[in-house]
Amino acid sequence: MSWIDLHRASETAAIEAEQNFRTGNARDAELFYAKAAELEEQALGVIDATKLRTRAITAVSAVSLWYKAAVYERAEHLAHSMLGDPAIPQFARMELRNLVQAIWTESSKQAAKVNFIPGQVFVSVNGGDIITGAAPLDLIIEKVQMIQAIFYRTVEFIGDMPLRRRGRPIREIQESCRPWLFQAPPGSYQFAVAIQDTKQLDLFKEDPRPDLVAHQFLEILKATASEDLRQLETLVPKPEYRDAFLKLSRNLAPSGKSFESIELRGARGDASVAFTLEARTQINNTIKSYRPVTTETTETEEEFTGTLRAVDLEKDYLDVVAVGQPLHIVELGDAMDDVIGPMVNKKVKVRFVRGTRDLLRFRDIELEE
Amino acid sequence: MSDLQHLILARLYERHPGLTQPLADSFAEAAYVCWARHHQPPVTVSLRRDNTEERRVADFPVPDERTRRAHANETDATEIGAYGVSLAAVEAVAGLVAVGRAETLTGADWYVSPSGGDIADLEDSIRLEVSGTDAGGSADIHQRLREKVAQAARGDSNLPAIAAVVGFKALEVAISSPVVRR
Repeated sequence: MSWIDLHRASETAAIEAEQNFRTGNARDAELFYAKAAELEEQALGVIDATKLRTRAITAVSAVSLWYKAAVYERAEHLAHSMLGDPAIPQFARMELRNLVQAIWTESSKQAAKVNFIPGQVFVSVNGGDIITGAAPLDLIIEKVQMIQAIFYRTVEFIGDMPLRRRGRPIREIQESCRPWLFQAPPGSYQFAVAIQDTKQLDLFKEDPRPDLVAHQFLEILKATASEDLRQLETLVPKPEYRDAFLKLSRNLAPSGKSFESIELRGARGDASVAFTLEARTQINNTIKSYRPVTTETTETEEEFTGTLRAVDLEKDYLDVVAVGQPLHIVELGDAMDDVIGPMVNKKVKVRFVRGTRDLLRFRDIELEE
Repeated sequence: MSDLQHLILARLYERHPGLTQPLADSFAEAAYVCWARHHQPPVTVSLRRDNTEERRVADFPVPDERTRRAHANETDATEIGAYGVSLAAVEAVAGLVAVGRAETLTGADWYVSPSGGDIADLEDSIRLEVSGTDAGGSADIHQRLREKVAQAARGDSNLPAIAAVVGFKALEVAISSPVVRR
Protein backbone atom coordinates (compact mmCIF):
# COMPACT_ATOMS: atom_id res chain seq x y z
CA MET A 1 0.00 0.00 0.00
CA SER A 2 1.18 3.52 -0.72
CA TRP A 3 1.63 6.36 1.77
CA ILE A 4 -1.63 7.97 0.69
CA ASP A 5 -3.63 4.73 1.13
CA LEU A 6 -2.22 4.08 4.59
CA HIS A 7 -2.53 7.71 5.64
CA ARG A 8 -6.16 7.84 4.46
CA ALA A 9 -6.95 4.67 6.43
CA SER A 10 -5.28 6.23 9.48
CA GLU A 11 -7.29 9.44 9.05
CA THR A 12 -10.53 7.44 8.96
CA ALA A 13 -9.65 5.59 12.17
CA ALA A 14 -8.53 8.83 13.87
CA ILE A 15 -11.82 10.54 12.95
CA GLU A 16 -13.70 7.55 14.39
CA ALA A 17 -11.59 7.85 17.55
CA GLU A 18 -12.33 11.56 17.85
CA GLN A 19 -16.07 10.97 17.47
CA ASN A 20 -15.94 8.34 20.23
CA PHE A 21 -13.96 10.70 22.42
CA ARG A 22 -16.52 13.48 21.90
CA THR A 23 -19.36 11.19 22.94
CA GLY A 24 -17.52 10.23 26.12
CA ASN A 25 -16.55 6.75 24.92
CA ALA A 26 -12.91 7.02 25.98
CA ARG A 27 -12.07 3.32 25.82
CA ASP A 28 -13.23 2.89 22.20
CA ALA A 29 -11.55 6.18 21.33
CA GLU A 30 -8.23 4.76 22.52
CA LEU A 31 -8.71 1.57 20.48
CA PHE A 32 -9.39 3.56 17.31
CA TYR A 33 -6.44 5.85 18.05
CA ALA A 34 -4.22 2.78 18.39
CA LYS A 35 -5.46 1.46 15.03
CA ALA A 36 -4.84 4.88 13.45
CA ALA A 37 -1.36 5.00 15.01
CA GLU A 38 -0.45 1.57 13.64
CA LEU A 39 -1.53 2.63 10.13
CA GLU A 40 0.24 6.00 10.35
CA GLU A 41 3.46 4.32 11.46
CA GLN A 42 3.17 1.99 8.46
CA ALA A 43 2.61 5.06 6.25
CA LEU A 44 5.77 6.56 7.72
CA GLY A 45 7.64 3.39 6.77
CA VAL A 46 6.71 3.58 3.07
CA ILE A 47 7.05 7.33 2.45
CA ASP A 48 9.74 8.41 0.02
CA ALA A 49 12.53 9.80 2.25
CA THR A 50 13.04 12.78 -0.06
CA LYS A 51 9.54 14.06 0.81
CA LEU A 52 10.78 15.75 3.93
CA ARG A 53 7.65 17.68 4.88
CA THR A 54 5.24 14.80 4.33
CA ARG A 55 7.54 12.45 6.25
CA ALA A 56 7.87 14.89 9.15
CA ILE A 57 4.11 15.57 9.34
CA THR A 58 3.46 11.82 9.27
CA ALA A 59 6.01 11.19 12.02
CA VAL A 60 4.43 13.79 14.31
CA SER A 61 1.00 12.42 13.50
CA ALA A 62 2.01 8.82 14.32
CA VAL A 63 3.57 9.79 17.66
CA SER A 64 0.50 11.92 18.52
CA LEU A 65 -1.80 9.01 17.74
CA TRP A 66 0.16 6.60 19.99
CA TYR A 67 0.05 9.26 22.69
CA LYS A 68 -3.72 9.68 22.32
CA ALA A 69 -4.11 5.91 22.38
CA ALA A 70 -2.30 6.05 25.77
CA VAL A 71 0.35 3.64 24.39
CA TYR A 72 3.14 5.76 25.83
CA GLU A 73 6.03 3.35 25.31
CA ARG A 74 5.50 3.13 21.55
CA ALA A 75 4.90 6.87 21.35
CA GLU A 76 8.15 7.58 23.18
CA HIS A 77 10.15 5.02 21.20
CA LEU A 78 8.98 6.40 17.85
CA ALA A 79 9.49 10.01 18.95
CA HIS A 80 13.09 9.31 20.01
CA SER A 81 13.89 7.40 16.84
CA MET A 82 12.58 10.29 14.71
CA LEU A 83 14.46 12.86 16.82
CA GLY A 84 17.61 10.83 16.19
CA ASP A 85 17.14 11.19 12.44
CA PRO A 86 19.15 14.20 11.17
CA ALA A 87 16.80 14.59 8.17
CA ILE A 88 13.80 15.53 10.35
CA PRO A 89 13.13 19.26 9.85
CA GLN A 90 13.12 21.77 12.69
CA PHE A 91 9.34 22.26 12.92
CA ALA A 92 8.82 18.54 13.47
CA ARG A 93 11.65 18.38 16.03
CA MET A 94 9.86 21.01 18.09
CA GLU A 95 6.56 19.14 17.95
CA LEU A 96 8.22 15.81 18.72
CA ARG A 97 9.99 17.30 21.77
CA ASN A 98 6.65 18.68 22.97
CA LEU A 99 5.13 15.25 22.55
CA VAL A 100 7.95 13.56 24.49
CA GLN A 101 7.34 16.01 27.35
CA ALA A 102 3.59 15.31 27.28
CA ILE A 103 4.26 11.55 27.22
CA TRP A 104 6.47 11.89 30.31
CA THR A 105 3.81 13.91 32.09
CA GLU A 106 1.17 11.27 31.40
CA SER A 107 3.54 8.45 32.36
CA SER A 108 4.44 10.17 35.62
CA LYS A 109 0.75 10.64 36.43
CA GLN A 110 0.21 6.92 35.89
CA ALA A 111 3.22 6.09 38.08
CA ALA A 112 2.12 8.48 40.85
CA LYS A 113 -0.80 6.18 41.71
CA VAL A 114 -2.98 9.24 42.06
CA ASN A 115 -6.16 9.45 40.02
CA PHE A 116 -6.78 12.58 38.04
CA ILE A 117 -9.94 13.89 36.53
CA PRO A 118 -9.84 13.24 32.78
CA GLY A 119 -8.22 16.04 30.84
CA GLN A 120 -5.91 18.71 32.08
CA VAL A 121 -5.48 22.38 31.39
CA PHE A 122 -2.31 23.67 29.78
CA VAL A 123 -1.27 27.18 30.67
CA SER A 124 1.20 29.16 28.62
CA VAL A 125 2.52 32.60 29.52
CA ASN A 126 4.05 34.58 26.67
CA GLY A 127 5.93 37.78 25.88
CA GLY A 128 7.41 40.49 28.07
CA ASP A 129 9.90 39.10 30.60
CA ILE A 130 9.09 35.48 29.67
CA ILE A 131 11.70 33.47 27.81
CA THR A 132 11.36 29.94 26.49
CA GLY A 133 11.02 27.63 29.47
CA ALA A 134 11.67 30.30 32.09
CA ALA A 135 9.72 33.07 33.78
CA PRO A 136 9.94 35.28 36.87
CA LEU A 137 9.01 33.14 39.89
CA ASP A 138 6.66 35.69 41.49
CA LEU A 139 4.68 36.08 38.29
CA ILE A 140 4.19 32.34 37.88
CA ILE A 141 3.28 31.83 41.55
CA GLU A 142 0.70 34.61 41.28
CA LYS A 143 -0.86 33.07 38.15
CA VAL A 144 -0.85 29.56 39.62
CA GLN A 145 -2.63 30.82 42.75
CA MET A 146 -5.18 32.60 40.60
CA ILE A 147 -5.82 29.52 38.47
CA GLN A 148 -6.25 27.46 41.62
CA ALA A 149 -8.73 30.02 42.95
CA ILE A 150 -10.74 29.87 39.71
CA PHE A 151 -10.68 26.06 39.79
CA TYR A 152 -12.06 26.02 43.32
CA ARG A 153 -14.71 28.57 42.41
CA THR A 154 -15.69 26.41 39.41
CA VAL A 155 -16.07 23.36 41.65
CA GLU A 156 -18.24 25.35 44.07
CA PHE A 157 -20.29 26.73 41.19
CA ILE A 158 -20.88 23.27 39.67
CA GLY A 159 -21.77 22.00 43.15
CA ASP A 160 -24.38 24.79 43.39
CA MET A 161 -22.85 26.04 46.62
CA PRO A 162 -23.56 29.55 47.88
CA LEU A 163 -20.86 32.04 46.90
CA ARG A 164 -17.96 31.98 49.37
CA ARG A 165 -17.01 35.54 50.29
CA ARG A 166 -14.36 34.87 52.92
CA GLY A 167 -11.64 32.31 53.48
CA ARG A 168 -10.58 29.25 51.56
CA PRO A 169 -12.86 26.54 50.14
CA ILE A 170 -14.16 23.88 52.51
CA ARG A 171 -11.63 21.20 53.38
CA GLU A 172 -13.60 18.60 51.37
CA ILE A 173 -12.99 20.55 48.16
CA GLN A 174 -9.39 21.36 48.94
CA GLU A 175 -8.57 17.72 49.69
CA SER A 176 -10.69 15.99 47.13
CA CYS A 177 -10.26 18.20 44.14
CA ARG A 178 -6.73 19.39 44.45
CA PRO A 179 -5.03 20.99 41.45
CA TRP A 180 -1.59 19.61 40.64
CA LEU A 181 1.07 21.26 38.56
CA PHE A 182 2.92 19.34 35.91
CA GLN A 183 5.74 20.41 33.70
CA ALA A 184 4.43 20.87 30.16
CA PRO A 185 5.92 21.22 26.72
CA PRO A 186 8.16 24.26 26.48
CA GLY A 187 7.41 27.03 24.02
CA SER A 188 7.00 30.08 26.05
CA TYR A 189 6.69 29.28 29.76
CA GLN A 190 4.18 26.49 30.07
CA PHE A 191 2.73 24.28 32.72
CA ALA A 192 -0.24 21.94 33.04
CA VAL A 193 -2.80 21.79 35.81
CA ALA A 194 -4.47 18.44 36.55
CA ILE A 195 -7.07 17.86 39.22
CA GLN A 196 -6.65 15.00 41.60
CA ASP A 197 -9.78 12.93 41.95
CA THR A 198 -9.62 10.99 45.18
CA LYS A 199 -13.23 10.23 45.95
CA GLN A 200 -16.77 11.01 44.95
CA LEU A 201 -17.69 14.38 46.36
CA ASP A 202 -20.99 14.83 48.14
CA LEU A 203 -21.37 18.14 46.38
CA PHE A 204 -21.43 16.36 43.02
CA LYS A 205 -24.43 14.23 43.96
CA GLU A 206 -26.63 16.06 41.49
CA ASP A 207 -24.04 16.00 38.75
CA PRO A 208 -21.69 13.06 39.05
CA ARG A 209 -19.23 14.27 36.39
CA PRO A 210 -16.19 15.78 38.04
CA ASP A 211 -14.53 15.87 34.60
CA LEU A 212 -16.85 18.79 33.96
CA VAL A 213 -14.57 20.94 36.09
CA ALA A 214 -11.74 21.39 33.59
CA HIS A 215 -14.16 21.86 30.70
CA GLN A 216 -16.40 24.26 32.62
CA PHE A 217 -13.36 26.14 33.93
CA LEU A 218 -12.23 26.89 30.35
CA GLU A 219 -15.72 27.68 29.09
CA ILE A 220 -16.26 30.18 31.92
CA LEU A 221 -12.90 31.84 31.31
CA LYS A 222 -13.68 32.09 27.59
CA ALA A 223 -17.03 33.69 28.33
CA THR A 224 -15.54 36.26 30.73
CA ALA A 225 -13.29 37.55 27.93
CA SER A 226 -16.04 37.68 25.32
CA GLU A 227 -17.82 40.87 24.33
CA ASP A 228 -21.06 38.89 24.14
CA LEU A 229 -22.46 39.10 27.68
CA ARG A 230 -25.14 36.52 26.84
CA GLN A 231 -22.51 33.75 26.78
CA LEU A 232 -21.45 34.45 30.34
CA GLU A 233 -25.01 34.96 31.57
CA THR A 234 -26.08 31.62 30.07
CA LEU A 235 -23.11 29.79 31.49
CA VAL A 236 -23.15 31.49 34.90
CA PRO A 237 -26.72 32.60 35.66
CA LYS A 238 -25.96 33.67 39.24
CA PRO A 239 -24.81 37.32 39.26
CA GLU A 240 -22.59 36.89 42.34
CA TYR A 241 -20.66 34.03 40.69
CA ARG A 242 -20.42 36.01 37.44
CA ASP A 243 -18.85 38.88 39.34
CA ALA A 244 -16.39 36.53 41.08
CA PHE A 245 -15.31 34.87 37.82
CA LEU A 246 -14.92 38.20 36.04
CA LYS A 247 -12.68 39.61 38.77
CA LEU A 248 -10.58 36.46 39.01
CA SER A 249 -10.18 36.39 35.20
CA ARG A 250 -9.09 40.01 35.25
CA ASN A 251 -6.40 39.11 37.79
CA LEU A 252 -5.15 36.50 35.35
CA ALA A 253 -4.88 38.89 32.39
CA PRO A 254 -1.79 41.03 31.76
CA SER A 255 -1.84 44.60 33.02
CA GLY A 256 1.49 45.87 31.74
CA LYS A 257 4.76 44.76 30.26
CA SER A 258 5.86 41.78 32.37
CA PHE A 259 3.99 39.43 30.03
CA GLU A 260 1.82 39.85 26.95
CA SER A 261 -0.67 37.03 27.16
CA ILE A 262 -1.67 33.97 29.11
CA GLU A 263 -3.27 31.18 27.15
CA LEU A 264 -5.21 28.27 28.64
CA ARG A 265 -6.32 25.25 26.69
CA GLY A 266 -7.71 21.77 27.20
CA ALA A 267 -5.49 18.73 26.77
CA ARG A 268 -7.14 17.73 23.51
CA GLY A 269 -7.41 21.25 22.20
CA ASP A 270 -11.17 21.20 22.93
CA ALA A 271 -11.23 24.75 24.19
CA SER A 272 -8.78 27.55 24.55
CA VAL A 273 -8.76 31.11 25.76
CA ALA A 274 -6.07 33.78 25.55
CA PHE A 275 -6.00 36.73 27.92
CA THR A 276 -4.28 39.80 26.50
CA LEU A 277 -4.39 43.48 27.38
CA GLU A 278 -7.38 43.76 25.03
CA ALA A 279 -9.15 40.96 26.88
CA ARG A 280 -8.48 42.78 30.16
CA THR A 281 -10.12 45.90 28.76
CA GLN A 282 -13.10 43.81 27.68
CA ILE A 283 -13.40 42.23 31.15
CA ASN A 284 -13.21 45.68 32.75
CA ASN A 285 -16.00 46.91 30.48
CA THR A 286 -18.14 43.93 31.46
CA ILE A 287 -17.48 44.44 35.17
CA LYS A 288 -18.38 48.09 34.79
CA SER A 289 -21.59 47.29 32.93
CA TYR A 290 -22.74 45.02 35.79
CA ARG A 291 -21.80 47.50 38.52
CA PRO A 292 -24.80 49.17 40.19
CA VAL A 293 -25.19 52.83 39.28
CA THR A 294 -24.17 55.26 42.06
CA THR A 295 -27.28 56.22 43.96
CA GLU A 296 -26.20 59.70 44.91
CA THR A 297 -25.85 61.86 41.82
CA THR A 298 -23.22 64.05 43.50
CA GLU A 299 -20.84 61.11 43.88
CA THR A 300 -18.18 60.73 41.22
CA GLU A 301 -15.85 57.80 40.91
CA GLU A 302 -12.15 58.45 41.55
CA GLU A 303 -9.09 56.30 40.83
CA PHE A 304 -5.91 55.92 42.85
CA THR A 305 -2.83 53.86 42.02
CA GLY A 306 -0.55 52.67 44.80
CA THR A 307 0.58 49.66 46.80
CA LEU A 308 -2.04 47.68 48.68
CA ARG A 309 -0.60 47.63 52.20
CA ALA A 310 -3.47 46.27 54.25
CA VAL A 311 -6.82 44.62 53.76
CA ASP A 312 -9.26 43.43 56.39
CA LEU A 313 -12.46 42.01 55.01
CA GLU A 314 -13.91 41.45 58.49
CA LYS A 315 -13.38 45.07 59.51
CA ASP A 316 -14.32 46.11 55.98
CA TYR A 317 -11.39 48.32 54.94
CA LEU A 318 -8.24 48.45 52.86
CA ASP A 319 -5.24 50.78 52.83
CA VAL A 320 -3.40 51.81 49.69
CA VAL A 321 -0.21 53.87 49.81
CA ALA A 322 1.54 55.86 47.06
CA VAL A 323 4.58 58.10 47.56
CA GLY A 324 3.88 58.25 51.27
CA GLN A 325 0.25 59.21 50.79
CA PRO A 326 -2.07 56.68 52.47
CA LEU A 327 -5.64 56.13 51.46
CA HIS A 328 -8.11 54.40 53.77
CA ILE A 329 -11.05 52.93 51.89
CA VAL A 330 -14.07 51.34 53.52
CA GLU A 331 -17.26 49.46 52.69
CA LEU A 332 -15.62 46.70 50.67
CA GLY A 333 -19.02 45.11 50.16
CA ASP A 334 -18.77 42.02 47.97
CA ALA A 335 -14.97 41.95 47.84
CA MET A 336 -13.63 38.41 48.10
CA ASP A 337 -10.53 36.96 49.74
CA ASP A 338 -9.22 35.17 46.68
CA VAL A 339 -9.62 38.26 44.51
CA ILE A 340 -8.01 40.84 46.81
CA GLY A 341 -5.69 38.61 48.87
CA PRO A 342 -3.08 38.06 46.12
CA MET A 343 -2.88 41.83 45.58
CA VAL A 344 -1.39 42.63 49.02
CA ASN A 345 1.98 44.41 48.71
CA LYS A 346 1.47 44.78 44.96
CA LYS A 347 0.72 47.83 42.87
CA VAL A 348 -3.03 48.22 42.42
CA LYS A 349 -5.51 50.61 40.92
CA VAL A 350 -8.41 51.22 43.29
CA ARG A 351 -11.69 52.92 42.39
CA PHE A 352 -13.82 54.59 45.02
CA VAL A 353 -16.40 57.29 45.58
CA ARG A 354 -15.94 60.13 48.05
CA GLY A 355 -18.94 60.25 50.38
CA THR A 356 -19.90 62.62 53.12
CA ARG A 357 -17.17 63.60 55.65
CA ASP A 358 -14.58 62.46 53.07
CA LEU A 359 -15.43 58.81 53.63
CA LEU A 360 -13.92 56.84 50.75
CA ARG A 361 -16.25 54.05 49.70
CA PHE A 362 -14.87 51.10 47.74
CA ARG A 363 -16.00 50.35 44.16
CA ASP A 364 -13.34 48.16 42.55
CA ILE A 365 -9.69 47.14 42.68
CA GLU A 366 -7.34 45.57 40.14
CA LEU A 367 -3.67 44.73 39.77
CA GLU A 368 -1.56 47.34 38.02
CA GLU A 369 2.00 47.33 36.74
CA MET B 1 -29.18 38.82 -2.48
CA SER B 2 -29.85 36.71 -5.60
CA ASP B 3 -26.96 38.33 -7.52
CA LEU B 4 -24.42 37.06 -5.01
CA GLN B 5 -22.49 33.84 -5.47
CA HIS B 6 -23.16 30.94 -3.15
CA LEU B 7 -21.12 29.55 -0.27
CA ILE B 8 -21.72 25.83 -0.65
CA LEU B 9 -21.31 23.44 2.27
CA ALA B 10 -23.30 20.58 0.79
CA ARG B 11 -21.25 17.70 -0.67
CA LEU B 12 -17.92 19.20 0.39
CA TYR B 13 -16.36 15.74 0.04
CA GLU B 14 -16.84 15.87 -3.73
CA ARG B 15 -14.59 18.92 -3.99
CA HIS B 16 -12.25 18.36 -1.03
CA PRO B 17 -10.34 15.10 -1.54
CA GLY B 18 -9.19 15.06 2.08
CA LEU B 19 -12.75 14.74 3.39
CA THR B 20 -14.82 11.60 3.68
CA GLN B 21 -18.56 11.83 3.11
CA PRO B 22 -19.56 11.18 6.75
CA LEU B 23 -17.10 13.79 7.99
CA ALA B 24 -18.12 16.40 5.41
CA ASP B 25 -21.80 15.76 6.21
CA SER B 26 -21.08 16.17 9.90
CA PHE B 27 -19.24 19.48 9.26
CA ALA B 28 -22.17 20.78 7.19
CA GLU B 29 -24.82 19.63 9.67
CA ALA B 30 -23.01 21.26 12.58
CA ALA B 31 -22.70 24.51 10.63
CA TYR B 32 -26.43 24.48 9.80
CA VAL B 33 -27.27 23.91 13.49
CA CYS B 34 -25.02 26.83 14.51
CA TRP B 35 -26.45 29.19 11.90
CA ALA B 36 -30.02 28.09 12.67
CA ARG B 37 -29.54 29.10 16.33
CA HIS B 38 -29.52 32.71 15.17
CA HIS B 39 -30.85 32.93 11.61
CA GLN B 40 -33.33 31.65 9.08
CA PRO B 41 -32.02 30.50 5.68
CA PRO B 42 -30.80 31.81 3.37
CA VAL B 43 -28.10 33.95 5.00
CA THR B 44 -25.53 36.30 3.54
CA VAL B 45 -22.07 35.56 4.87
CA SER B 46 -19.26 38.08 4.73
CA LEU B 47 -15.88 36.55 3.82
CA ARG B 48 -13.12 38.96 4.87
CA ARG B 49 -9.56 38.45 3.78
CA ASP B 50 -7.00 41.19 4.48
CA ASN B 51 -8.76 44.35 3.31
CA THR B 52 -11.22 42.72 0.96
CA GLU B 53 -14.74 41.56 1.60
CA GLU B 54 -16.72 39.12 -0.47
CA ARG B 55 -20.35 38.39 0.33
CA ARG B 56 -21.84 35.01 -0.39
CA VAL B 57 -25.28 33.51 0.06
CA ALA B 58 -25.48 30.33 2.11
CA ASP B 59 -28.71 28.40 1.88
CA PHE B 60 -29.26 25.51 4.26
CA PRO B 61 -32.00 23.17 5.41
CA VAL B 62 -33.44 24.08 8.81
CA PRO B 63 -32.10 21.26 11.04
CA ASP B 64 -34.72 18.89 12.41
CA GLU B 65 -34.93 17.95 16.08
CA ARG B 66 -32.78 14.84 15.61
CA THR B 67 -30.00 16.82 13.95
CA ARG B 68 -30.14 19.48 16.64
CA ARG B 69 -29.89 16.82 19.34
CA ALA B 70 -26.90 15.24 17.59
CA HIS B 71 -25.13 18.60 17.79
CA ALA B 72 -26.46 19.65 21.19
CA ASN B 73 -22.99 20.27 22.62
CA GLU B 74 -22.51 23.91 21.64
CA THR B 75 -18.72 23.88 21.94
CA ASP B 76 -18.31 20.79 19.75
CA ALA B 77 -20.91 21.97 17.21
CA THR B 78 -19.21 25.35 16.89
CA GLU B 79 -15.82 23.76 16.40
CA ILE B 80 -17.03 21.16 13.87
CA GLY B 81 -19.26 23.65 12.04
CA ALA B 82 -16.37 26.11 11.83
CA TYR B 83 -14.33 23.52 9.92
CA GLY B 84 -17.11 23.14 7.35
CA VAL B 85 -17.59 26.88 6.87
CA SER B 86 -13.84 27.59 6.82
CA LEU B 87 -13.18 24.95 4.17
CA ALA B 88 -16.03 26.25 2.02
CA ALA B 89 -14.76 29.81 2.54
CA VAL B 90 -11.09 29.18 1.64
CA GLU B 91 -12.34 27.26 -1.39
CA ALA B 92 -14.47 30.26 -2.35
CA VAL B 93 -11.89 33.01 -1.86
CA ALA B 94 -8.60 31.21 -2.53
CA GLY B 95 -9.45 28.07 -4.51
CA LEU B 96 -7.96 25.85 -1.79
CA VAL B 97 -9.38 22.47 -0.84
CA ALA B 98 -8.71 20.07 2.03
CA VAL B 99 -6.21 17.38 1.03
CA GLY B 100 -5.42 15.78 4.33
CA ARG B 101 -5.34 15.81 8.06
CA ALA B 102 -2.60 14.97 10.51
CA GLU B 103 -2.70 14.57 14.25
CA THR B 104 -0.94 16.88 16.66
CA LEU B 105 -0.50 16.90 20.41
CA THR B 106 -3.64 18.95 21.00
CA GLY B 107 -5.90 17.96 18.12
CA ALA B 108 -5.45 17.72 14.39
CA ASP B 109 -4.25 20.00 11.63
CA TRP B 110 -5.97 20.20 8.28
CA TYR B 111 -3.93 20.78 5.13
CA VAL B 112 -5.22 22.59 2.05
CA SER B 113 -3.85 22.83 -1.49
CA PRO B 114 -4.98 24.41 -4.75
CA SER B 115 -7.95 22.56 -6.18
CA GLY B 116 -7.16 19.96 -8.85
CA GLY B 117 -3.54 19.35 -7.78
CA ASP B 118 -1.82 16.04 -7.14
CA ILE B 119 -2.42 14.75 -3.62
CA ALA B 120 0.19 12.02 -3.44
CA ASP B 121 1.77 13.86 -0.48
CA LEU B 122 1.63 17.03 1.65
CA GLU B 123 4.79 18.66 0.25
CA ASP B 124 3.09 21.81 -1.09
CA SER B 125 0.12 21.97 1.22
CA ILE B 126 -0.78 24.78 3.63
CA ARG B 127 -1.88 24.20 7.22
CA LEU B 128 -5.35 25.55 8.01
CA GLU B 129 -5.93 26.96 11.51
CA VAL B 130 -9.65 27.13 12.31
CA SER B 131 -11.58 28.76 15.11
CA GLY B 132 -15.29 29.40 15.59
CA THR B 133 -17.49 31.51 17.79
CA ASP B 134 -21.19 30.95 18.17
CA ALA B 135 -22.35 34.36 19.34
CA GLY B 136 -19.22 36.53 19.24
CA GLY B 137 -19.35 39.78 17.30
CA SER B 138 -17.04 41.18 14.67
CA ALA B 139 -14.50 42.49 17.21
CA ASP B 140 -14.39 39.06 18.84
CA ILE B 141 -13.81 37.38 15.47
CA HIS B 142 -10.95 39.70 14.53
CA GLN B 143 -9.38 39.38 17.97
CA ARG B 144 -9.42 35.59 17.54
CA LEU B 145 -7.91 35.91 14.06
CA ARG B 146 -5.07 38.03 15.47
CA GLU B 147 -4.50 35.39 18.15
CA LYS B 148 -4.52 32.58 15.56
CA VAL B 149 -2.10 34.45 13.29
CA ALA B 150 0.19 35.17 16.25
CA GLN B 151 -0.03 31.51 17.25
CA ALA B 152 0.83 30.38 13.72
CA ALA B 153 3.69 32.86 13.46
CA ARG B 154 5.09 32.07 16.91
CA GLY B 155 3.99 28.55 16.87
CA ASP B 156 4.77 24.96 16.78
CA SER B 157 5.43 24.74 13.07
CA ASN B 158 7.20 26.66 10.36
CA LEU B 159 4.87 25.29 7.71
CA PRO B 160 2.90 28.02 5.97
CA ALA B 161 -0.52 28.39 7.58
CA ILE B 162 -3.80 30.13 6.90
CA ALA B 163 -6.05 31.07 9.80
CA ALA B 164 -9.83 31.29 9.51
CA VAL B 165 -12.30 32.39 12.18
CA VAL B 166 -16.01 31.78 11.74
CA GLY B 167 -18.71 33.80 13.52
CA PHE B 168 -22.07 32.07 13.24
CA LYS B 169 -24.24 34.80 14.71
CA ALA B 170 -22.18 37.54 13.06
CA LEU B 171 -22.35 35.73 9.67
CA GLU B 172 -18.70 36.45 9.10
CA VAL B 173 -15.57 34.50 8.20
CA ALA B 174 -12.22 36.26 8.70
CA ILE B 175 -9.35 34.67 6.77
CA SER B 176 -5.66 35.55 7.04
CA SER B 177 -3.06 35.50 4.33
CA PRO B 178 -0.63 32.59 4.64
CA VAL B 179 1.74 33.16 7.57
CA VAL B 180 5.00 31.44 8.39
CA ARG B 181 6.89 31.24 11.64
CA ARG B 182 9.05 34.33 12.22
